[in-house]
Amino acid sequence: MTRLATTRTASIRTVAALAALGLLAIAPATAQEIPTYAPPPPMPADTSKLPTVVLMSMGGTIASRGDTRLNITNYGGGMPRVDPEDWVNDLPEIRGIANIILDDQRAPRDRPSGTETHEDCARVAKRLNELAADPKIDGFVVTHGTNTMAEVAWYMNLTVKTEKPIVFVGSQRPWTGLSGDGPRNLYDAVRVAASKEARGKGVLQCTNQFINTAREVDKTSAYRVDTFKGVDAGALGFADPDKVVFLREPVRRHTVNSEFAGLDFPELPKVEIAFSYREAPGYLIDAMVEQGVKGIIIEGVGAGGATSGTAGQGEAIKRAQAKGVIVVMTARTQGGRVQDTPRRREAKMVPGDNLLPEKARILLQLALTRTTDLAEIKRIFDEY
Amino acid sequence: MPHTQRLLTLLLVLAAPVAVAAADLPKVMLFTTGGTIQSRASYRAKLHEYNDGPRVTPADILKDVPEASALAKIEVVEVSNIGSGGINTTLLLKLAKGLNAELAKPDVTGAVVTHGTGTLEETAYFLHLTVKSKKPVVVIGAMRPWSAISRDGPLNFYNAVRTAITPEAVGKGVLVLLNDTIHSARLVTKNNTYHVETFVAREIGPIGFADSDRVVFYRTPLTRHTADSEFDISSIDSLPQVDVVYGYQEASSAGVDALVADGAKGLVFADSSPEYRQAILRAQGTGVVIVQSDRKGSGRVLATDSVASRGVIASDNLNPQKARILLRLALTKTTQPRELQRIFNEY
Repeated sequence: MTRLATTRTASIRTVAALAALGLLAIAPATAQEIPTYAPPPPMPADTSKLPTVVLMSMGGTIASRGDTRLNITNYGGGMPRVDPEDWVNDLPEIRGIANIILDDQRAPRDRPSGTETHEDCARVAKRLNELAADPKIDGFVVTHGTNTMAEVAWYMNLTVKTEKPIVFVGSQRPWTGLSGDGPRNLYDAVRVAASKEARGKGVLQCTNQFINTAREVDKTSAYRVDTFKGVDAGALGFADPDKVVFLREPVRRHTVNSEFAGLDFPELPKVEIAFSYREAPGYLIDAMVEQGVKGIIIEGVGAGGATSGTAGQGEAIKRAQAKGVIVVMTARTQGGRVQDTPRRREAKMVPGDNLLPEKARILLQLALTRTTDLAEIKRIFDEY
Repeated sequence: MPHTQRLLTLLLVLAAPVAVAAADLPKVMLFTTGGTIQSRASYRAKLHEYNDGPRVTPADILKDVPEASALAKIEVVEVSNIGSGGINTTLLLKLAKGLNAELAKPDVTGAVVTHGTGTLEETAYFLHLTVKSKKPVVVIGAMRPWSAISRDGPLNFYNAVRTAITPEAVGKGVLVLLNDTIHSARLVTKNNTYHVETFVAREIGPIGFADSDRVVFYRTPLTRHTADSEFDISSIDSLPQVDVVYGYQEASSAGVDALVADGAKGLVFADSSPEYRQAILRAQGTGVVIVQSDRKGSGRVLATDSVASRGVIASDNLNPQKARILLRLALTKTTQPRELQRIFNEY
């Protein structure tokens, strides 16, 4: 983290120094690289009939600038951020789709990235619940960094009580990047949030023209623009050039039908994730228990397996359970369900279905605010 | 012999509770049409050209998978016992009408259809558009013959019966089930010549799984189908001829003219060629309807103004063989391009 920041500062300094000496022909990128040869489409004569969409910023790469437009990996740092106003100025087309209300929920400027906490999530969920109650508002677009976007979207999917579309969006390349994916993603996200078809389908995620659900969506590639995929079950639809199309709707409980929706969770019980692999030791699980966790998610091998033997995870799981810790089994296979088998029932293990471990963690945290009863927690994992 | 007799007695005793409960079991109709799932090869390692063994009858399927009969009372309607390449309009209509007749009976819970995998997606989509019932219809096949080592047919059949009696499967349209994976009929397509994971729905994915603990659904399909479909085949004995034209560099238009001369009422283009432009105009001049599909395998063909101005129908993301099925049914209703485009937008 520190090293990265230092490198970035150094490179910015070099760029600035070279520019000062007139040795550098490339101007630092300040605005989005949007072709200007085609004018924006005409605005509707009467914008009062357009839906109203809140464009909420939780930051992310989509709100970042690089020092040059070829910098698509080492951006942010000391560069000025992209404010919500910049998006609207750079992309006037979105005002032709909806009346846009800007809402800035970014972390303070002096806080390094990667420090987002549950406090931020709880604050945004509370804000979304408040705004969703406003009859003048029709939908929401929330920007977020792509690394943990799926988790945050899943939290909102469980805790925001509304049928209004909430669409998470981000980008793989900074706003200033050459062939940046941010502008198209943002434009499409506003179209989805403004569409009637998106209502009641739970929290959505839209990048690269695909519409995914918060439950199954996962980031699958570090840098490619086609990074977001639905685990097991695919996308719900597409934001295609002609229209927003939905071919599927999700079956599991969400938003208006969630028993956690509309509630404020300023704090959540501590739940951690233990990865499994050949020779994975039990002592990491013991350490989690010593730290006071209330639940542990095992990211198991195969269909949900942990290491056995005296030093293995299996024995440590039993020790944890003896202290009242709830253990959920998920799979590191990134697809396929962990099932409720007789052996697993005997081991008092909650099957995580096909939830990714980081999403099982959030569901268990919410479940533990209500109950520590194994049968009840299993029901929650079956229904969401 | 005494040992065998003891074993038989034991089996009868074990089977007794099943027999008693049989009256309460849900009823599932098994429609069989044939395919690899009903084929046997001359030796069990043979996974190709497996037409050298005796055909598998519906009774063979039930006998080899008694577990299915423990879940449901299974009654058989044999439509045919042939490969999927031989499934024609007569058999399609017979199958759809048979399903409609059986599913209308209150004591029938659902249906399973066996089919060759080659054109399975076409039959499944045809049923998706013509079966007038919310009850589950599960179309299955196999990639390995019934005689093969590690054959996939028996588990596909067992899983299909489980799915046909699953309440969550009601109202989800016609389903295709192989390799534990449940697909909706509209987008599912065969993606591999021999492997068991052949069926996929590109871009959009499956809608559920028949896992060993339970049958689980994650998605509901949103386009119109089955009980909500406007197509009625109850008094239809034939369907208009529609053919598919592939597109590639320098493709000749001779095939287009020949199909029109052969009596095609509609043509689905899997891609275009500069040579087609004049041939399409000639075809349209004789009243032939043109649908633009695509050979890429995923993504939508958009109904743009330019497409509409040429009187061409955009296939959305239906592949050419599925667009053909929909166009044949649509032509029983209308030849008006705008109305045909509405149908392609909704199904």
